[in-house]
Amino acid sequence: MRGTWLIFQRETKQYFTSPLAYLIAFAFLIITGLIFNNDLTLSVDVKPANPAAVPNFLSFGMIFFAPILTMRLLAEESREGTLELLLTAPVRDNDIVFGKFLSAWFYYSVLLALTFSYQFILISITSPDLGHAISAYIGIWLYGGATIAVGLLFSSLTENQVVAAFLSGTTLLFLWLGNIAGQVITDIEMARIVRTLSLQGHFATSFGQGLVRAEDIVYYAGLMAVMLFITIRIVESHRWR
Amino acid sequence: MIEVRNLTKYYGNFAAVNDVSFDAHSGEIVGLLGPNGAGKTSTMRMLTGFMPPSGGYAKVAGYDTFKESIEVRRRVGYLPENVPVYPDMTVRDYVMFWAKLRRVAKPKQQVDAALERVQLTDRRNTLVRNLSKGLKQRLGLAQALVHNPEVIILDEPTIGIDPQQVIEVRNTVKELGQDHTVLFSTHILAEAEQVCDRILIINNGHIVASGEPAALRQQIQPGVQLYILLGKHTPGKVQQLFKAIEGVKHIEQQGDGYVLDVEPGHDVRADIATQIVEAGYALLEMRPLAMTLEDIFLNIISDKDYA
Ligand SMILES: Nc1ncnc2c1ncn2[C@@H]1O[C@H](COP(=O)(O)OP(=O)(O)OP(=O)(O)O)[C@@H](O)[C@H]1O
Ligand SMILES: [Mg+2]
Repeated sequence: MRGTWLIFQRETKQYFTSPLAYLIAFAFLIITGLIFNNDLTLSVDVKPANPAAVPNFLSFGMIFFAPILTMRLLAEESREGTLELLLTAPVRDNDIVFGKFLSAWFYYSVLLALTFSYQFILISITSPDLGHAISAYIGIWLYGGATIAVGLLFSSLTENQVVAAFLSGTTLLFLWLGNIAGQVITDIEMARIVRTLSLQGHFATSFGQGLVRAEDIVYYAGLMAVMLFITIRIVESHRWR
Repeated sequence: MIEVRNLTKYYGNFAAVNDVSFDAHSGEIVGLLGPNGAGKTSTMRMLTGFMPPSGGYAKVAGYDTFKESIEVRRRVGYLPENVPVYPDMTVRDYVMFWAKLRRVAKPKQQVDAALERVQLTDRRNTLVRNLSKGLKQRLGLAQALVHNPEVIILDEPTIGIDPQQVIEVRNTVKELGQDHTVLFSTHILAEAEQVCDRILIINNGHIVASGEPAALRQQIQPGVQLYILLGKHTPGKVQQLFKAIEGVKHIEQQGDGYVLDVEPGHDVRADIATQIVEAGYALLEMRPLAMTLEDIFLNIISDKDYA
């Protein structure tokens, strides 16, 4: 617990002082801002404003943001050799992984919270469906956590940050495409399984539409748990190399 | 304080550490001396609880390094060979991070004391990435001693830094030896002799010799080599002259100079000097040749059956 907290603190401080993290935050806010602005423009005469516009975009955007946010976390420790020191400090291996995961998720949460400002703008000019917005935000927050867990896993697999980002981005893309594949596959059983495993399948038709379903929460929580479990095992495996 | 019994480490089929046993007591500086690939780092990694042994065991302060790893890790300070750092932290934050992770009771005081000890106090707000190699090495030392551990394990702490820094690091290690048990690895014989209370010589995963520096030198150096440089002379006559001196085992000519192997227990220097002068030659130089690590291994290996 204590180890988790100390590692969380160090990582979080890193996020709030590193130029790269600011660049990510900048891109994140610019892009979500454009998305919001675009949706608002359309709402003038084409369709009503979508209170879930930003979360909907992020369900795709996290394929890129999650790898960049997480690539450094364990790859750098292992390249610099500091992992050896962490593994000989009186903390458990899961403290290391949890601390890093929570820190990245926290940073993402802060970025996400900044996009609430768009909601305030929306509220000030129209009366959006707040329930829809809240459900979409809860969904994309969990969705983000799951993608970050995937990114962390790949960061633990290699010393090379670029490789880590590439691998996790590719994996996330496949997990995302699963939804589309699920719509194309003709075998109904198969399609159902593929959609059940896909990231998007648990967002677009539920959270994104204002629905909070237990099975979707379980899916994202489960994905996080599995990814973190594997990551802990990989970190542990450094002791056996 | 450190108890190592039959410690063995296999990487696949290859035994990097093979049946190593030794003890290190409180307040002792023990040197692990060996060439590249001898198994120094592997031994230390097992002692720090980083990796489990393939066979045998190691105990630190009575705790098994594998079964009671967390207890061991609290009591050990470790500086790995490559001196790992977080480049984006300040010197002080870096040491503070390790202090807190290792549950130091009064982190502020301890961190300041550690920085003072390695003379980095005036650099405490510098970013680690801007430190020179020598200063990084000292930062690594600060990290290893900040929690005032009972055992400090330093893996080749003087490698790759300039001579002035080497001296400072050696002095710090010696100081640390007064109130900690220090295990220190190096491949430089002179360094081990100078810093350590006791030396373990390790090669191919085996401890091939051990003892206090002076005793060890006796044991591993079955005689002395003398280098003698003469002015104008007739080599044949000089060779005969050397041969006649009791205790000279072997003579080898190197240009105008000679390398003599002398049996242990004989001091032939006075004899040689008088005879050469009496024969009318100029004695330009006479000095004992220091043994290198390679010579030692050749000696030990020819003595014992370690191939
Ligand atoms: N993870 C590993 N996998 C396979 N072989 C390894 C591994 N680590 C070390 N070795 C091998 O084990 C032997 C001992 O290595 P070790 O690093 O312990 O030696 P060392 O005495 O520290 O050498 P150096 O002076 O080069 O640091 C070497 O032959 C090395 O190649
Ligand atoms: Mg080594």
